[in-house]
Amino acid sequence: MAAAKFDLNDDSVVVIVGSGAGGGTMAHELSQKGVKCVVLEAGKTLSLDDIENDEWAMFMKISWLDKRYSGGTWHGSVNHPNLPAWIVKGLGGSTVHWAAVSLRYQPHEFKMLTTTGGIPGANIADWPVTYDEMKPYYDKAELKMGVTGDVTGMPHLPWSSDFKVLAEGARRIGYNKITAGPMAINSKERDGRPACQQIGFCMQGCKIGAKWSTLYSELPKAVDSGNCEIRTNCMVLKIEHDKSGKVTGVVYADKDGKQQSQKAKVVCVAGNSIESPRLLLNSASSMYPDGLANSSGQVGRNYMTHMTGGVYAVMPGKVHQNRGTQVAGIVRDEAHHDAKRGFGGGYTLEKLTLGLGFLSAFMVPGPTGWGHKVSGALEKYDQTSGVWICGEDMPQEQNGIELHKTEKDQYGLPVPIVKKTDHPNDTNMRNHAYKQMASIYDSLGSKEIWNLPAYPASHNMGSNRMSEKAKDGVVNSYGQSHDIKNLFVSDGSQFVTSASCNPTLTIVALAIRQAEYLADQLKKGAI
Amino acid sequence: MFHDLSIFTSRTERLAIPALSRRQLLGTTATVALAAGVMTTAFGRKALAAAGFSDDQKLALLRMARDIYPHEKLLDNAPYQAVIDGVLAEAGKDEKVAKLVTDGLADLEKRANGVYKSNYVGVKDPLQREGILRQIELTDFFQKIRGGLLFGLYNNKSLYPKFGYDGSSWEKGGYVNDPSFGKVDWLNL
Repeated sequence: MAAAKFDLNDDSVVVIVGSGAGGGTMAHELSQKGVKCVVLEAGKTLSLDDIENDEWAMFMKISWLDKRYSGGTWHGSVNHPNLPAWIVKGLGGSTVHWAAVSLRYQPHEFKMLTTTGGIPGANIADWPVTYDEMKPYYDKAELKMGVTGDVTGMPHLPWSSDFKVLAEGARRIGYNKITAGPMAINSKERDGRPACQQIGFCMQGCKIGAKWSTLYSELPKAVDSGNCEIRTNCMVLKIEHDKSGKVTGVVYADKDGKQQSQKAKVVCVAGNSIESPRLLLNSASSMYPDGLANSSGQVGRNYMTHMTGGVYAVMPGKVHQNRGTQVAGIVRDEAHHDAKRGFGGGYTLEKLTLGLGFLSAFMVPGPTGWGHKVSGALEKYDQTSGVWICGEDMPQEQNGIELHKTEKDQYGLPVPIVKKTDHPNDTNMRNHAYKQMASIYDSLGSKEIWNLPAYPASHNMGSNRMSEKAKDGVVNSYGQSHDIKNLFVSDGSQFVTSASCNPTLTIVALAIRQAEYLADQLKKGAI
Repeated sequence: MFHDLSIFTSRTERLAIPALSRRQLLGTTATVALAAGVMTTAFGRKALAAAGFSDDQKLALLRMARDIYPHEKLLDNAPYQAVIDGVLAEAGKDEKVAKLVTDGLADLEKRANGVYKSNYVGVKDPLQREGILRQIELTDFFQKIRGGLLFGLYNNKSLYPKFGYDGSSWEKGGYVNDPSFGKVDWLNL
């Protein structure tokens, strides 16, 4: 079917801001249900032809590099002052970049207040949705994305050398929750996409499309339905509303920088956890002086990135960490909650390949990362193995997205300041993970272990969080604004807590559920 | 991504390192070997002439580059020199860069003299030279050289094999059918 084209004054459409895991899934789900939608993507069109196996080339090609500031006390405010987050500006959003780890939240991870009994200084809360309610949507998400495991019946990917090294060390210290999945990477040809060839460079974009991405999965299907129009290089500047308070459309800068107004019946915001609250804040009006959907004052707060860090170690023999998928497997023996360890929540250890370019830049990030120790370790690149730590991050009111008081970006919008300060829970958990990883690598005979601090965040969550009551959060369990019934948040900024797993699968599951709810509400005339 | 992202955004054009027609002497701590690496390419000669840097200054820059990311046995002077040549070429065109380098080097020499009564190149112990560089590591001068090296050494495809890094693999179909895939001989796996 021919691609749809909607008039700027067509006020029957759902406008979706962003085309990543949240926005791309919404576009696909809504268009399949016959709901007309317009996707406005700030970045450019990308295709598999744009993908290279080159870390820095792809970084420059796909990253969101608009002006931003890192704030708070995390090391990045010094070492990554203008790159608080490592996400994509392009069609498909950060599903181009993601490593495809597709873990579900554990049931207790939807109830961290109940589970921990509360943690001082953390704005911790239970989700207004439970695992049992989410389970069917997780199943649907896994089928949609092609996640290896029981639901699809697709086996996990084969173990690379590097993952075998981690697995052996983990086994030696008594761990046993060691698996090569679940990954949203085809281990067999499926859904018109080929099986993984163990190319590596998953986070530079999968060259063959074996890894799930909305770029070549949901978005083309949405367009093919005839119900969806995608406009790239279109940066949404403001959401507009009428006197009753309902949103009526968006103002955006088109590819030529010209301002356009697209009318809408519903607006779904899915610009990732920095841009989504930023857009709501930038849409402040006389009726909503603190920004849209912000009667709770929680827009832009409780920003989470995961408690994270890296550990890289030089092994006694060859590892060839680059030969295989970037996250070839995971260890989940510390993913449970056990307050006796000195922190609430748990963490997952994920084998992560860095190429020579990024390892040289991140062994010691920032201006002090040089000298004979760094260069000496890099000479043993092919003996080096490493993990990324993905742990429950404490939501805190002080962590969030603020607008710069004077500085504007190329669109004339206030530059965002992304503030992140560790909670003691984060620090305790990170130190625990460093210690466990040291034991793992020590058991393998490593004499040289490097602890890396957090990278600029690829997992950005929580800045428009869900809540049961309007006073506690921005949206309800369907991502619908408590204040404005035809305004939805469709990305990871809805998250209440971050869990010990990568966010994409849960973003997709929530979007499937939201699309079902939204289509039903539209059908009933409730919106 | 780092101290100054513009280091990278402004540097991409220079990522292509000029091909060198002959293998140079291995860089060692000896001045003689260092000198062999200076002024070897036409590109370099032109840049140096334009910027008006002395031989001593050029030697100090090369020594400094080798001390920032030392690979005494692994790499010869060429990739370091290529980065330095790029900075000097820029200095030849931009007075601000020329001043940054000139002043930075003067500061470096002053510090070397102050502690070791020697010019920088003459300080024999590599750890002592690294110590001097630690004092200036947050300066724009130092970061300019370091940023160039980070790309010139570690994002330089011609050097990947020296580090045991394979680089791009999609052209050869990845590793799914590679005999090395999943093998770890030192663990008997």
